[in-house]
Parts: sequence; structure tokens; C-alpha cells
Amino acid sequence: MSSVILRNVNKSYGNLPIVKNLNLEVKDGEFVVLVGPSGCGKSTTLRMVAGLEDITQGEIQIGSRAINDLPPHKRNIAMVFQNYALYPHMSVRENIVFGLKKSGADAETIKEKLADVSEMLKLDDYLDRKPADLSGGQRQRVAMGRALARDADVYLFDEPLSNLDAKLRHHMRTEIARIQHQYNMTAIYVTHDQIEAMTLGDRVVVMRDGIVEQVGTPMEIYLQPTNTFVATFIGSPAMNLIEAKIEGEDLVFDNYRLPAAKIANVDLQDLKSHDTVLVGIRPDFFEDSALSSPSDNLFEFNDIQVELVENLGFDKEIMFKLGGEDAKARLDLRSHVKRQENISMSVDLNRVLLFDTSPQGMLLNTGEV
Amino acid sequence: MQKREEHMSSVLIKNESRLGLKLVAPAVGIIGLLVIYPILFNIYLSFFDVQLNGTKTFVGMENYTDLLGNPRYYHSIGVSVIYLIGTVIGTTVLGLAAAILMNQEFRFRNLARGLILLPYFAPVISVVFGWQFIFDPVNGIYNHVVVDVLHLTDTRENLIGNPDSALFVVIVFDIWKHFPIAYLLFLAKLQSVPKDLYEAAAIDGQNAWGRFWHVTLPELRFVIATVVLLRIIWNLNRFEDVYLLAPNVETLPIFTYYQAFAGIVDQGVAAAISVIQLLVLVGLIWLYVRKVLKW
Repeated sequence: MSSVILRNVNKSYGNLPIVKNLNLEVKDGEFVVLVGPSGCGKSTTLRMVAGLEDITQGEIQIGSRAINDLPPHKRNIAMVFQNYALYPHMSVRENIVFGLKKSGADAETIKEKLADVSEMLKLDDYLDRKPADLSGGQRQRVAMGRALARDADVYLFDEPLSNLDAKLRHHMRTEIARIQHQYNMTAIYVTHDQIEAMTLGDRVVVMRDGIVEQVGTPMEIYLQPTNTFVATFIGSPAMNLIEAKIEGEDLVFDNYRLPAAKIANVDLQDLKSHDTVLVGIRPDFFEDSALSSPSDNLFEFNDIQVELVENLGFDKEIMFKLGGEDAKARLDLRSHVKRQENISMSVDLNRVLLFDTSPQGMLLNTGEV
Repeated sequence: MQKREEHMSSVLIKNESRLGLKLVAPAVGIIGLLVIYPILFNIYLSFFDVQLNGTKTFVGMENYTDLLGNPRYYHSIGVSVIYLIGTVIGTTVLGLAAAILMNQEFRFRNLARGLILLPYFAPVISVVFGWQFIFDPVNGIYNHVVVDVLHLTDTRENLIGNPDSALFVVIVFDIWKHFPIAYLLFLAKLQSVPKDLYEAAAIDGQNAWGRFWHVTLPELRFVIATVVLLRIIWNLNRFEDVYLLAPNVETLPIFTYYQAFAGIVDQGVAAAISVIQLLVLVGLIWLYVRKVLKW
């Protein structure tokens, strides 16, 4: 295992920049997830580490080796591809040991690794089959096995679960997390799925348009997104952003006046320099007032008209209007709200985030939230 | 093909096979008239002594025993085997190399892809004259380059006039004329090889040669087998290229032609040669249908 360092890495096709000045250090044994919408440069970044794309500018290091000029087959990496990329003419067994053999492992090691990997991924019954005779989930496991059998410095995953159905995806996500902890491997994992990012990553890198928007642990990203893009991209349903006027020390929208002084880590002097701000409230942080225990840091949104209720079993999603915009709240099964009803919901002001109204929408709360 | 059918509904399969029968019916009729009847008549003739005026005398197996006792027959088989080995290997290797080259990205690639096909589309008779001129002992460019420019030898040679060297000229000519069809088949398949297979192989530690060996070749093996078998089948019967360029190269079809239409005309023996050749071809076609198409 090794660390991976990307230093001022740029990638462009002709004049079109794809990755802009990216800096990232993946520590030894760390699982880092690159997440972002399609076209954000996350796959390109991964492929530069793999050596499948050349680096326009900057440096990539694996361990202490600069690998810019090394072809992929000399980088000692393993990779799981989105479409599995299994060798169709080889059996599952041959697919798994192919890279291991090439790396010069002796017969005994190969045998042990194969037994190890096939047991862990439950492939024992399929070893003699060809990839064409396997289901999507089984192929995915073989692709994982082929990577894990290798004694690579770093393991790369390029949206490995995106071709699986929802149930299998969940299962494999858990498997990957388990394997990663067991092997303590250095891994870079690319996905557009924020749930995979949140559940798998030791750290998550949120990218947009070739730029890193934020790097942090899943909880940092969830609780303290640095701007409105990260705030709305991570978390489902997306964070509600409501434009509010600053009047004295209050944030005003509709008939509500939120006391800014009670919102965590807000510099009141700085706040007063703005005319308007965006108030960010995650749907998860709304509570049915009828069920919440009183606290002086709760703000109550009374007289909210429920437009729609989506029952998801334990959770239900409530759709309503806030500041003239569509807003969502997630309540649990204890509340019995119905469509067209008027209800009160409360929010812990410690959980409220403020963003400026610039195009970037930067976070105004400072320090721990 | 088989894989796909498994997923297709049985109703659709039935519909499709009925349509298929209707579509091949005219072709089957024409083949019956133009191929099956002559073949049967040919087998019939091979048991007769046939005169040019049309009189036939039944001779039983005599044509066959004559043939099997004729050293010229074995010689022509030998020539055909060399011709087949040379042309099949030549077209396959050159076609594969050209396909791999043309599968790379470069400027004017489409133009180059088209130009490569030219020998295949050029009429045989015109390019044959060109080739004969190249090897002309007095005015040909070949002798000019070898003798006058490079001084490799002192004597001008008539490569086409000498049957031994003419065989190699004929082989090179066939490779040049027919490698584009191998190239076309290879290129079509190469373009459908998933890119990520190469990427996976690179990450598994394979350099360019290893990727060719472990990805390209296995992916191409069906097409390679097809090209090899089709080229054998076609070239076992190849007449016009050889006869027009160097009629002194006696491959099996040329030998058959001489038996049937030149010198001492013996159409019964010619028919017997064809029957034996037919059996070999049927064997090859059986191999193709049973083995190669099943991959």
C-alpha cells in the first residue's frame, strides 16, 4: 500500500479544460471517494492516476515515485471498471489470476490468493465459467476479485456499482466497505452516487466542472458544506435554500423572523454587511412540532400548508412552500400529517446554515456547526 | 447468435425463420439449377471417356486410376499446397497488420482506409498486365532495380517465365490483391473490441505486445479462422489470377483446365479431378460450418 499525491494536476483536451489545478493527498490505507455530477472530471482524474489519460500539467505520485511518465502496466495499480472489462475468453479463475501471474507471483501465492478472493467474494462455484455465463452481479464480483487478488499499491474504482440494480448495489456497497477495512487498502473510488460517497469514503472529494469544491469526511460535508453546490448535491432530498432579508439581527422571509444570534457560529457584524442571505435547512432537520420536546433553540414554522405527503415507510417526505419556493421536510412515522393540512414544524437553529447570495453561494457559518 | 436467440421470444423466432425460408427460396432455386445440376453431371462425366464431339464411353474408375498414376497430378497438388500456404498466411498476416495500423488514430485515416482497398477492386486483367510489366526481363522495373540500381546480381531474370520463381510471383500477387478482404474483416472486428479490455490488460501489467496477445488475438480468433478457411476455399479454386499472370504455374485448377481444354483433351479426367477437389472443399466447408461458426 502507498499514499497517492496529486499536485497541481491539470487536464485539458485541446483548449477545453477538464480538470483544473487539482490538489489531493490520499493517505496510506485511506478510502477516498470522488463524487460529482457527470462531466465534473472525477473519472478523468482517476484515469490519470491509472495512466490511462496523460497529465497535461502537474504531478502525480504513488508512494515516493512520480508516475507521470510511467505507462499503466508499470504503476502497480489495480482497477475495477464500470463495465467490468472481464476477458471474455478466460474463465473466472483465469481472469482473477491474470494480473497476479503477470506480476511474477509464484504458483503457491497465486493459489492462496485465488482461494482467498474467491471465498470472500463467494465465487467458488463459478471459477470455471466464462464471463458470458455470469449475471451482472457475479461479473462485478469477478472484476472486484481480479483487482483484490493483486498486491497493488493503490486500488481504483470507476463507478463499479452503477450497472447493478438497487438491491445488489446496496449489497455490494456493504461488501466493498467490509473488504476495504479488512485489507486496509489505499483506494480511490469514483461515483456520481452520493450515498456511495457518504457510506464508503473515509474522505469525500466533491467536484464540479473540473474543480474540487470540498474535501472532507462525510459528516463534515453533510453538516458543513462550503457552498450551495455541495450543500444541495450531498443529501437527499436536497437541502432547502430560502432567500431571506437581513433586518437588524433577524433573517426574514414569509412571516418568519429567524434570530441570527441563535444560529451557530455566525458573525453578526459580517452578516449585517449583506442585504440578503440564503438560509439552508436540510429536510432531515425539520420536526413535527407536536412531537418535539421544547427547547429555546428551536424555531417554529407554524401555519405550514402541506401540499403533498410521500410515505416511504419509516420516513415521509412533506412538500410545502417556504419563502415562495418548493421545500421539503422529512418526518418520521410518528407524525400523521395529511395533504392540505396546516401543521407546525420546528428546526434546531444550531442546524441552520447561511450562505451568501454570490454565484458561488459561500457558507457564512464559521467553525464547527 | 445462439446467445441472442435464447433471449428472443419463441413467437418471434418462429416468425423470423418463416421469413428466412421465404428469403432464401429464390437463391436455393438458382443454386439448384446452376450448381447442383452441374456437380451431379460432373460426377457422372467422371466415369466416362468424353470426346469433344460429345461421344461418351463408360470407363468405370479408369479416369481415377489414370489420374492417381499421373505424376503431373501430384506435382500440381504440391504447387497448390505451396500456393495455399503462401497466400493464406500472407493475406492473413498482412491484412491483420493493415487492420491494426488503420485502427489507430491519425490524420487522413479515412482516406488511407479507402486506398488500401484499391487492389481488391481493381480488375484482374488490368493489374495482371501491370505486374507482368514489372517483372519483364528487359524493360521491367524489378530487374532495373535489382540489377542496375542495387547491383544485387549481374543477370536479368525472367521471374515469370521460370515456373519455379513464377509460383512466388503469383503468391505475392495474390497476397497483394486479396489482403484487403482480410483487412476489412479484421478492421470491422477490431472496432468492436471494447476499449476497457485493453485498459484492464494494461493495468494488469501487460505492455502493448501483451495486450495484442491477450486481448486482440483472442477477440479476433473467430475472424482469423474465418479468413483462413475462406481463403483456403477460395484459393483452392483460384483460376484467373494464376492463369492470366503466369500460365506456367500449374496449380490444381490450372492442371484441370489443361486436361479439359488444352492439348490432349480429356474431359473425363478433368471431371475426375474436380470430383476429388469437390470432396476436399466439402470437408473444409463442413469444418467451417460446424466449428468456426459455432465459436
